[in-house]
Amino acid sequence: MASYLETLDIPHLPESLSVYVALYRDVQNAAFLRQQLLSGNKEFEYAFIDASMVFSRAHATAAIFRAINDYKNDRLKSHNVHSEIVFSLNPANNIADSFRKFGVADSTKDLLAVKVSVSPEITRDSVAAHLEASVQGTPVTFDDQTISEISDVTRIKKMFKLGALPSPGDKTGGTQNTNAKRQLEMSLVGAIALRGS
Amino acid sequence: MADEYKPPALPAPFNNTNPAPELLTQGAEGHLYKTFSLDPSIPAALKVRPSKPYRHPILDRRLTRQRIIQEARCLTKLIREGVSVPAVLALDWEGQGGDEAGWGGAWLMMEWIDGPVVRVVLEQWEAWMKKNASSLDVAQLEQENARVKALLRRIGKTIGGLHKAGVVHGDLTTSNIMLRLPTEDIEAETTPTGVSTQGEVVLIDFGLASQSAQDEDRAVDLYVLERAIGSTHPRSEPFMEELVHGYRESHRGATSTLKRLEDNPVPLSNAYSHMDRIDLNWILKTPR
Amino acid sequence: MIAIGMEGSANKIGIGIMSHPKDGSPPQVLANIRHTYVSPPGEGFLPKDVARHHRTWVVNLVKGALKEARVSVEEVDCICFTQGPGMGAPLQAVALAARMLSLLWGKALIGVNHCVGHIEMGRLITGATNPVVLYVSGGNTQVIAYSSQRYRIFGETLDIAVGNCLDRFARTLHISNDPFPGYNIEQLAKQGKQLVDLPYVVKGMDVSFSGILAAIDSLAATLGLGGEERAREDAEKASNVEQTSQDQVQDFDSDNKPTRADLCFSLQETVYSMLVEITERAMAHVGSKQVLIVGGVGSNERLQEMMGIMARDRGGSVYATDERFCIDNGIMIAQAGMLAYQSGFRTALQDSSCTQRFRTDEVHVKWRED
Repeated sequence: MASYLETLDIPHLPESLSVYVALYRDVQNAAFLRQQLLSGNKEFEYAFIDASMVFSRAHATAAIFRAINDYKNDRLKSHNVHSEIVFSLNPANNIADSFRKFGVADSTKDLLAVKVSVSPEITRDSVAAHLEASVQGTPVTFDDQTISEISDVTRIKKMFKLGALPSPGDKTGGTQNTNAKRQLEMSLVGAIALRGS
Repeated sequence: MADEYKPPALPAPFNNTNPAPELLTQGAEGHLYKTFSLDPSIPAALKVRPSKPYRHPILDRRLTRQRIIQEARCLTKLIREGVSVPAVLALDWEGQGGDEAGWGGAWLMMEWIDGPVVRVVLEQWEAWMKKNASSLDVAQLEQENARVKALLRRIGKTIGGLHKAGVVHGDLTTSNIMLRLPTEDIEAETTPTGVSTQGEVVLIDFGLASQSAQDEDRAVDLYVLERAIGSTHPRSEPFMEELVHGYRESHRGATSTLKRLEDNPVPLSNAYSHMDRIDLNWILKTPR
Repeated sequence: MIAIGMEGSANKIGIGIMSHPKDGSPPQVLANIRHTYVSPPGEGFLPKDVARHHRTWVVNLVKGALKEARVSVEEVDCICFTQGPGMGAPLQAVALAARMLSLLWGKALIGVNHCVGHIEMGRLITGATNPVVLYVSGGNTQVIAYSSQRYRIFGETLDIAVGNCLDRFARTLHISNDPFPGYNIEQLAKQGKQLVDLPYVVKGMDVSFSGILAAIDSLAATLGLGGEERAREDAEKASNVEQTSQDQVQDFDSDNKPTRADLCFSLQETVYSMLVEITERAMAHVGSKQVLIVGGVGSNERLQEMMGIMARDRGGSVYATDERFCIDNGIMIAQAGMLAYQSGFRTALQDSSCTQRFRTDEVHVKWRED
C-alpha cells in the first residue's frame, strides 16, 4: 500500500521539506476525517482535499508550492501549512469558503491527502502507516489520467470563474483537447499564483 | 572608483535551487533566468525584479510589487483569453530576500517557450537572401517572400488577439515575439534558406504591458513594431501590409485602431519612449 | 586660445573666461562670475524682469571677468553665448550684448546650445569620457547619450522640468528662493521622515512631473501646510534648531500628519527615483557604466547619492560637479563654444538669433571623434 504514497518532487523547495501525497477513491470515512480536522486532532494535520476539485497534478502542485512558499516566508493566512494548501487551491481570499469548496466534506468520495514534513519526525514511513490506518478507501496513482476521471471540471471552472473556457472533452483526444486542458490548467495555476494580489 | 561588481543574488526560494538557475539577461529592471518549473521535467523562465537600494524602501516595495503583479495579471488574462503568451506558473510580489541581510526581489516564474525570437528568424532569412537571392528562380523567390508574408500575417493576427483581450504590450519589437517550436512531428517547410518560419507565434516580455482598450495605446504598439521592423529588417519591411492585414482580420476593433495609426501620427514622445528602449541603432541613427 | 562665455538663459547671468593653452595642456578657468535674480518667496520670476536684470549686469560682469582673468581684449579669440534653450527675453538680452562685443572687438561669434555647454563642462571637470548624461534643471530634464557626433536624447520630461516642479512646490510652501528654491527644499527634506504616497510616472524612458506637482500641491493645501505663516514658523524653528530638534521628533511621533518637511522629503524621493530609473535604463541600453549629472538640480546631494548607489550596483560610477559648474555659468558656454570654435564653427550675425527651443540633438558635435 505504501507504494501509493508519492513523494512529490517540487523543485526550488528546501531539501529538508518533503511533500507526500496520496490519492484515494471510494473513501468510506470522509466524515470521520473531517471531524478530526475540525476537532484539531494534531495526528490528523493533513491537507485533506476533495479530489473532485483538483483538475490536474499541476493544479495541485501550484497550490502546494504557493502554500509552502508562504509558509517559508511567514505569510500564512491560515493555521498551518496544511490548511494553507487547501486555502491555496481557492482563487478567492476567503479561508472558510476554501474549506467548504476544496476541503474534505462528509460526502467526499475521492480524497487527495497531502502532508509536508515540517518536522523531522514526519517521514515517508510514518505518513504511509498513519494514512493506511486512517483512510478507508482505495489508493490509486496520483496522475493526470486518474485525476481526469475524478475531476468535476464544470464545478472547478465555476469556482475559478472560468465558465467561458472550453472544457477538455473526456475521450475524444486530439490537439483541441490538449489545448483546452492546457489553457484551463494554466488559467488555474495563474489564478492561484495571483491570489491576494 | 567603483566597488567590485557582484552578480545579482537570487531571492528565496531559488537560492536553494539545484542546479542554480542560469542567468540569461540582466536588464535595467529585471534579471531573466532559465530554471525548472514546479515539475522537474519541465523548464521555466524566471524573471526577478531586484529591489533597488537607491529608492526609499516603501517606494521600492510599492513599485516592485505593482509592476510584477501588473505583468502577471496581463499574462494570466491573456492565457484565459487564449492568446499565446507564457503562462504564469508561480509568483511572489513581496520581495522577501534570502538569508543575506537586506536583499529582496519580487519574482515571476513563467512557462518556458522553446523556439527562436522572430528578430533572429528574420535576420537569418534576410542575411541568406542578401547573399543568395540572385541564385533563386522567380518561383523560388516568390515562395520565400510568401513565407515571410505569411509569418507577418500570423504576427498581426496574434497582436490582434492581444488587443482584443484588452491588453497592450508596451514594448513590441521582433525581439519580444517568438516562434514556439512545434511539438508534434509536422512536415518541415521546403526552403533553400534553412530558416524555418514554422511554429506558433508567442508574445513575450510583458514588463511594460498594461490593460487598455484605447486605440491610441494599441496604435503605439503597432507603430513601435512597424518602426522596429523598418529599422532592423529592411527586406521584410515591404511586407508590413501583411501584418496589418492579419491584424485587421483579427477583431472588430482593429479598423479604428488602424485608422488611428494612419490618421493621427502617434504622439512622438510616447512612441519614442518605447522606441528608445528597443533599438538603440535605430534611435541613434534617426535624429528626432 | 581664450573664449568668453556669456550665459543668461534663465534667472542667472554668468560670464566666464576659459583658456585652452596652445601646448595642449588642460583647459583653464580664468574667471567664473555670476549674478542671480532672486524673486521674493512665493513668486517665480518674470522674463521681462530677468531680462532687465541681465541688461543691468552684463557690462559690469564682462569687465569684472576680464579683470579677474587678467586678460586683455586683444587676447580673446571668440565670444560665446547661449543661443537656447531658455527664456526668450533673457536669452535675447545677453545675445545682444554678445553680438555687440563681437562687432566692437572684431571677435568670432559662437552660439552655444545651453545643454551641450553643461555636458562639455561636466566632461571637462569630471574627466568622464563617454557618460550617460542626466541633465536636470529648472527648464530641462533629459537623459542623453553620445553617438555619431550627436548628443542623443534618450528620455525626457513629457511636461514640466524637474527643477520647475521643485521650484513651484517651493512657491506653494513659501520657501525662500535664496540661494535657490531647490536648495531650501533639500534642507527641509533632511528633517522629513514620513514618505507620503505620490504619483510615480515613468513611461518607457520618459517621465512626467505635472501630476506629481498637482498631487503634492493639493496635499499641502488639504493639510494646511502652504503659505507664509507656516514658512515663518519654519524659519523660527530653524533659527534655534539646537533647542527644538528634540521637540520636533516628538511632534512627529505624537502626530502622524505629514509635515512640510515630510512633503519635501517625499517629493524628492519620488522625483529623484524616477530620474535614476530612466538613467539606469539608458545605461543598460548603451552599455555605459558612467553617469554624469549636470544642471542646477544636479547639485542636490540626495540625487547624487541615489545615482551613486545605482551606478555602484551596475559596477559603474557617478560623476557630478559642484554648484560652481552645475548651476548655470559662463564658463560652460566658453568651454563648449571653444570646442566648436576650434573645430571651425562660427555663428554668422544673421544666424545669431536666439531660440527658446533648441534641442540638444540639433548640434553637430564636430569636436568629438565618432
